[in-house]
Amino acid sequence: MAREKTYTEEVFPSPFIQLWIIFRRTPVAMLGFGCFIFLVFLAIFSPLLAPYSPVEGNLEMILLPPAWHDNGNVSYLLGTDELGRDMLSRLMYGTSLTFGLSFVVVLISLVVGVVIGSLSALTKGLKSSFLNHFLDVVLSIPSLLLAIIIVAILGPGIANTVWAIVIVLIPQFIHITRYAVKEEFRKDYVLASRLDGASPFRVLYYSVFPNIVERIMSQATLAQSAAILDIATLGFLGLGAQIPLPEWGAILANGVERFYIAPWTVYLPGLAILFAVVATNLVGEGIRHALKVRREN
Amino acid sequence: MLTMLSFSLSFLFPGDNIINLSGQLNASSSELTQLNHYYQHDNNIIEQYLAYLRHVLQGDLGLSMASQSPISHEIIKLLPATMELSLVALLIAMAIGIPLGFIAAIKHNKTTDNVILAVSMLGYSIPVFWLGLLAILFFSIGLGWLPSAGRISLLFEIEFVTGFQFIDILLSDSPYKWQALNNALAHIILPACVIAVAPTTIFVRLSRAAMIEVLATSYIRAAKSKGLSFSQIIFRHATRNALIKIIRHVGLQFANLITIAMVTEVIFSWPGIGRWLIESIYQRDYTAIQSGLLVLSCFIFIVHILTDFIYAALNPLARGNKYGS
Repeated sequence: MAREKTYTEEVFPSPFIQLWIIFRRTPVAMLGFGCFIFLVFLAIFSPLLAPYSPVEGNLEMILLPPAWHDNGNVSYLLGTDELGRDMLSRLMYGTSLTFGLSFVVVLISLVVGVVIGSLSALTKGLKSSFLNHFLDVVLSIPSLLLAIIIVAILGPGIANTVWAIVIVLIPQFIHITRYAVKEEFRKDYVLASRLDGASPFRVLYYSVFPNIVERIMSQATLAQSAAILDIATLGFLGLGAQIPLPEWGAILANGVERFYIAPWTVYLPGLAILFAVVATNLVGEGIRHALKVRREN
Repeated sequence: MLTMLSFSLSFLFPGDNIINLSGQLNASSSELTQLNHYYQHDNNIIEQYLAYLRHVLQGDLGLSMASQSPISHEIIKLLPATMELSLVALLIAMAIGIPLGFIAAIKHNKTTDNVILAVSMLGYSIPVFWLGLLAILFFSIGLGWLPSAGRISLLFEIEFVTGFQFIDILLSDSPYKWQALNNALAHIILPACVIAVAPTTIFVRLSRAAMIEVLATSYIRAAKSKGLSFSQIIFRHATRNALIKIIRHVGLQFANLITIAMVTEVIFSWPGIGRWLIESIYQRDYTAIQSGLLVLSCFIFIVHILTDFIYAALNPLARGNKYGS
């Protein structure tokens, strides 16, 4: 009897890898993850892939319906809008604005929120209690309302929208990091490494972060679906991306006037937003499901 | 806290903060000195804040920069419309969401559960403005069933008493009372349903989680071992305990619902405070933004406190905890 392994090696994958192994087994989550990767790819490479310019119109091809329609034209796969701009190209460029920006927004607020959150978890007393109450007030105001107010202060525009949503999302990350870090700090393995003489920052970096990264990621997916919807809503209200920019919400608002004669200018960007949010939510659900399964094992 | 935020906004907005606070655009220099005196503008910032607080408590929110009419009058006219719309939406969301969540929990991990979860996932991913437009296209333009804009047809003259359309109609002595009521009802259905979609899905998830938790408790097992039938367990024991857990979240969801209502009001031309607020952003009407924000957040805050009270009134366990028992 051949023994391939002389010693039964026990491999302990890191919490993150464990999560990935469980995550891989849920087909729906993987589907969402695939769509997510596709959107990221599109957001980066849309200038290379898009067939036409998103802002220059072809005035001979105004309000062309999508290609599967009787009057459609195959060279304009998803039709054109009232200035003869290709819908497909506009939507592809819009991916980098709506989806790509929401990704950037979440990344910035995640870094800032995690840093402040973990620092605040290490402090005690007055400072920490002040932060706690302040966070409670900020968290009780709905994110979109707060974003609208910040845009009202800064003035409309895509850059101001991004800052507004970053500011709105930071408290959520502070909150979740704070609680996760505090929870981990009570556990024995942290105590062990502290008894070994590790400084709080070393404990934070080597022991705590690997164990809370997936909780922060799950929050990040929630934040991103909110960010996509907020960017699109502000664009729709005319407070976000301004006119020639192919942001999904702004394209939709642009199509509203010709809603009845050219419905595709409204339902296509809406579908794009829906697709992006569903993909993000599926990934988030997958992570939460995997977390639950891992905890039960 | 909220008034402090609103007060600090007057400094953050562009322009002179005394004009932002009072909204008097074309004040002469003598009027300006008077305003400075009213708002204690020459003193330090704490006294300025207290002066502002006094004005707010007296119901003086300044003049709207766009229309130069007192904001408090406009808000009294507009706020009931928003309250009416959001309350109807909340009722719809609870009436549909909670039973669906219970069904999903009872059929936990079966096809029904998965279908309900998938639909609810789709529901909270839909951008609300898109859904509103599709609803108008389908129900108002395509089928012609429901009106697409406004609160009531202009044909009906309803006197303004409380601002709540339905109460006003019932109070009025118009001979066409019932037609007016029907008309108002037809106007509210579409926007309320559109607003209700996202909160419904959240209620589905909340009630599903609450019900699963309740069904796993020992008193349900005890009830089962006593030989009670399934419907007896669900209706007499499980539903009540699960409902209590949900009520605590209603306040939080309400804040969310108000934001959705703001966007929906724009689409359905509903004469409420959300549309007014967004229009004042377009017009750079800083006084209006400031006071609109203050009123809306106070409204949300009051609903929060109310739900906390209702929760405490319904749940004896929550009452006991306060005394440290």
